[in-house]
Amino acid sequence: MDASPAISVQNLRKVYGAKAAVDGLDLQVPRGCFFGFLGPNGAGKTTTIRMLMGLAPPTSGTIELLGLPMPERALEVKQKIGLVPDESLLFDHLTGLEFTEFVGRMYGLSRPLARERARELLALFELDSEPRKLIGDYSKGMRKRAAMAAALIHRPELFLLDEPFEGVDAVGARLMKEILLEQVRRGATMFLTSHVLEVVERLCDRVAIIHDGKLVLSGTMSELRSGSETLEDVFVRVVGAERPTESLDWL
Amino acid sequence: MGWNQARAIIWAQWRTVRNYIPRSSLGGLVFSGLLMALWYGAFAFLAGLAGLLLSRPDDLPFVKKVLPDALLVCFLYWQIIPILMASMGSSLEMKKLLVYPVPHGQLFTLEVLLRISTGMEMFLLLIGAGIGLLLNPLIPFWAPLPLVFFAVFNLLCSAGVRDLLVRLLARKRVREIVVFLFVLAAALPQVMILTGGHEKIRRFFSGESSPFLPWTAAASLAQGEFSWISVAALIGWTAAAYFFGRWQFERGLIFDAGEAGARTTSLGRRSSPLEWFYRLPNAVLPNPLSALVEKELRFLTRSARFRLVFLMGFSFGLLIWAPLAFGQASSPNSLMSQNYLSFVSVYALLLLSDALFWNCFGFDRSAAQVYFLVPFKLSTVLIGKNLAALFFVFLEISAITLVCALLRLPITLIKILEAAAVTLVVTLFLLSIGNLSSVYNPRSVNPVKSFRTSAGGRMQAVLMLTFPLALIPVLLAFLARYAFDTEWAFFAVLLFGAMLGGFVYSLSMDSAVKAAEQRKEQIIATLSKGAGPIES
Repeated sequence: MDASPAISVQNLRKVYGAKAAVDGLDLQVPRGCFFGFLGPNGAGKTTTIRMLMGLAPPTSGTIELLGLPMPERALEVKQKIGLVPDESLLFDHLTGLEFTEFVGRMYGLSRPLARERARELLALFELDSEPRKLIGDYSKGMRKRAAMAAALIHRPELFLLDEPFEGVDAVGARLMKEILLEQVRRGATMFLTSHVLEVVERLCDRVAIIHDGKLVLSGTMSELRSGSETLEDVFVRVVGAERPTESLDWL
Repeated sequence: MGWNQARAIIWAQWRTVRNYIPRSSLGGLVFSGLLMALWYGAFAFLAGLAGLLLSRPDDLPFVKKVLPDALLVCFLYWQIIPILMASMGSSLEMKKLLVYPVPHGQLFTLEVLLRISTGMEMFLLLIGAGIGLLLNPLIPFWAPLPLVFFAVFNLLCSAGVRDLLVRLLARKRVREIVVFLFVLAAALPQVMILTGGHEKIRRFFSGESSPFLPWTAAASLAQGEFSWISVAALIGWTAAAYFFGRWQFERGLIFDAGEAGARTTSLGRRSSPLEWFYRLPNAVLPNPLSALVEKELRFLTRSARFRLVFLMGFSFGLLIWAPLAFGQASSPNSLMSQNYLSFVSVYALLLLSDALFWNCFGFDRSAAQVYFLVPFKLSTVLIGKNLAALFFVFLEISAITLVCALLRLPITLIKILEAAAVTLVVTLFLLSIGNLSSVYNPRSVNPVKSFRTSAGGRMQAVLMLTFPLALIPVLLAFLARYAFDTEWAFFAVLLFGAMLGGFVYSLSMDSAVKAAEQRKEQIIATLSKGAGPIES
């Protein structure tokens, strides 16, 4: 296996107007690791993922994925990435099968192979009972499962997962977790953002917390937690969630 | 990997359209289909005529005279009409496709081919002309080939212009200025031709004096007059268009709209200077109507697309009609110069119609669901939207009048009253048709995009068929003034038109509300869905 980290980010900045959404981020994600990337709303998680995917060019800093520089080697990098995006990247007027097959073909699989794998993946994710149903008619959980199925179709080496469990029921979430852990066992790397800290705590071996665009904490799960502290306690302590409560008499 | 991905994108788009058709309303589909058949049928007919003309050896001298001008018109239509109609045709959904490892060359080729959607009419004409040339025994067999190069040149040029515009328009506050300059540039040829000096322009654009221009080179070659200068000129222009298109495309791929949009707004958002304007409805209307109108005012003024057409109404509209009314060739007593203000106002309505009338739920589509949940009738919602539309229409006329006054155009008080009355009557009919169209044919629109993505032809066809209906009472009023030679006849017919318009409005409101109740699930579903890999 290549010794270079799966994700290597140095001094990454993304500035929108006068505000730095990501401000000097340094991050190393070893290969074969299940990495949790946490932060409160608006902390810069999605911007970071968008930069990793090549959707938003960084203002400054360098990105290397699987040992290859971005965006110079973007095509090679994208070939090896599996993406569970936010919902806006799905095609609402395609069925789950059509979408998964489309993604397979976009990664260079032949049409028969893409179709065969798409069928198997949809059966695995229990999305095959209504083959004519369009993604636009899927529930939130079903959309996430469809996105996960599509992300797996070309056996990627690195997964970028943006809130993959959002809206997924317990059975579906269990299945997804098992599949992701199996992928890690075969050597793939997971880069996961999630607000469900229990899930992160259970799945991830390394975690980084970003706040106001800056990395505020990073390490293995055991390094982060001290004593009886849960990940939630650590998170609240680090991002400073103490907020003044105002009384709303009318409420 | 070959062209697998490009084929996959085309296949996914085909499935998207195929899946969408059974779910859309049959009536709407038939209506759109008929409109498109009529519009493109007319151009197919013209293409047939062009083919017939070019196939006859006897007409060659005439063809030689008109072909360079015809190709120039073709170029102008392809490049300028999309800007005038604020409709840039179909394009790839780059946000959804960039995450995949697709070589940029494939994406660029698809994007260029999609430019056919903005010039389909000209494409048909060029096909007709090409077939005609092939059938002409006096023309060599290779002669239609330059027309293919000319079409490719137009596609590449159009792709470059589109990418350039999309990037410029993503910059808030800058975009209105950019569009303003673009529409002024688009109107310039007409203004120059109609205000004198057109001989100089004619000499520059056509004829033997400029064999290096793409349309003259293509025309000369298409008639079988081989010359290396023409070949070099055509290939040179096509190559230049390729480099321009590809350069703009590559810049578009690394462009971050969020970053560009933020650059000008990050200076700090204080309370809007238009706050007093938004609160105007509060002073005269009760809740919830005033809240609805206020929301519409806020939403529309923040919509880039609406701001663009509103600005075009009193800038481009004035400019495009002024030479016809007051140019060298016009007389002070011509119909156009006498009714200039009314013409410009009606043209402004035409520009505003997509945002204010035809598709009133499509712009703020995320709010459509709320309209069916709020504890008041849907008619209140429609009235709120219509009042906001009326408000903007009168704001537009005021702006037109003000600009006319500043330019010292011959506008009298009676002409201002005339324009206001004409606009009110036409607006009443447009609102009546629009309420029904919004319910029966809702379309999701991205209000942030300044230019429409839907193919220009369909929209032009809608406008061409519905506008004459709304204009009938006004035309009758003009006819009455001509027949009786008095303003009283004009205003009497307009008054009758307004009463009829009110009656039609009330009937259409009832029908629209009933239809909306029955179709609410379809309306919400249509407005809440995204598209396929191609925005169309």
